[in-house]
Amino acid sequence: MTDGNKTFNKNILIAVDDSDNARRAVSYVAQLLGGVSGFKVTVLHVIPEAEEDYFATTAEKEEWLEHYKEKMYAVLEACRQILISAGFAPEAVSVRSPLRYCPSMAECILSERDELEYDTIVLGRQGLSRSEEFLFGSISSKIVTHARNCTVWVVE
Amino acid sequence: MATPIGEESLRKMAARWLPSGQDATPLRIHRDTTDFFRVEYGDIVDLNGRPYLVRHNAKEGRFGLDDEVKYWVKRAIDLTSGEQKIIKLVFQEKFKAHVGGIEFECFRSPRKEARILDLVAGHKHFMHGFSVHDEKQNVVRILDFIYGAPLSKYVENLKSDHKSYFFDIFPRILDQFMECIRAIQFIHNHGEKHGDIRRDHILVDRQNGDYRWIDFDFNYRHRENIYGYDLFGLGNVLVFLVGKGDVLLQNLYQENHPAMKTLREEDRNIVFHHRIVNLKKVYPYIPESLNQILLHFSKGANRFYGTTGELLEDLEALDKP
Repeated sequence: MTDGNKTFNKNILIAVDDSDNARRAVSYVAQLLGGVSGFKVTVLHVIPEAEEDYFATTAEKEEWLEHYKEKMYAVLEACRQILISAGFAPEAVSVRSPLRYCPSMAECILSERDELEYDTIVLGRQGLSRSEEFLFGSISSKIVTHARNCTVWVVE
Repeated sequence: MATPIGEESLRKMAARWLPSGQDATPLRIHRDTTDFFRVEYGDIVDLNGRPYLVRHNAKEGRFGLDDEVKYWVKRAIDLTSGEQKIIKLVFQEKFKAHVGGIEFECFRSPRKEARILDLVAGHKHFMHGFSVHDEKQNVVRILDFIYGAPLSKYVENLKSDHKSYFFDIFPRILDQFMECIRAIQFIHNHGEKHGDIRRDHILVDRQNGDYRWIDFDFNYRHRENIYGYDLFGLGNVLVFLVGKGDVLLQNLYQENHPAMKTLREEDRNIVFHHRIVNLKKVYPYIPESLNQILLHFSKGANRFYGTTGELLEDLEALDKP
């Protein structure tokens, strides 16, 4: 695809967590592009490095991390299966779960995009109330505001 | 590890503060403070060879409730210097907090408070102190005692009516509060949250009038905006200071205040819906520029402050009332 100046690649990054909103984003891509050749999808969950302060001991922190990783590996595999079932070739779907220090999840997701050259990011709308967005911020709003050189799909 | 001081020497050091005639009662000396309920009035806490005489548990009151005893926070005397200190023992607490119906995870972290104490050493807008490990490696914080009232009490106790307060006293308060915001900006710039920004967590130091932040052990699990909850706290304090207290919908209704005719849903606090943020509708002499800043914390806000810098920029641009 070109716009005359820029060629867009067919690499799609779906950023997920363990929410229904994230599953909807995966289903959307599955329904829209399943069986269409040429697209490559990566399902991403950035594992936020747990705050040191949250745990009384290092052992407690490690136990939490192991449990968290196990849960998210299952989520990522389930997302992968949704895409394959919809017609994506297994080799066209990958999962990724880097462990990163993430004061801002949106910035972490965007830096993954920069490293791996995806022209499209897909994520589910979190459905936050205004008060929640005010108090804690919104990942999707921040990605929409800060993303450069790529297209963002926010799935309702 | 320093050599422990013997009981007789400790008794002599503490004699000034202990009731007379209790020489026969053995002194209870704690070097392991894990069970903070056992550390009581008249006990000695020996931290790395430096003894502190425990006087009583600290209390904290809020919203008209009776003061709540904080058993892990002791008022004490440093027996080496004779100075009053606050000793904070380790209380690893995790709980779900609810603010305006929103649930989020909070916890106490002695290590965070210890880190911030190091960071703000010598900064005049914070409490001061240091941390030390007891023999079980609990991170105990030893804080300088600040003589002075919480900012909330100071403002509530002012006798003047709102208009006199706003024109005569508030400009000085705002200057000091802006210093407090810069102080929070300082810790944010170093990657730390305050965690529990409230109007009673600023003490007005009686010695020099400086406003000083206290209590850094509280923390919240942030989501996208790491400092969002701190900024919400700053906004609430600002609205409180401009209003000379909370301006509550219920009070205006009971007074049949003329503002009731014009107040709308969007004029309320974005989280605490019973508080009014659009104070110009209640006090028309509040300048529009200041009121616009307050409205960033209202239900009708189109834009939120993302950083302390953005809030400060708007406050610095104000013409003083």
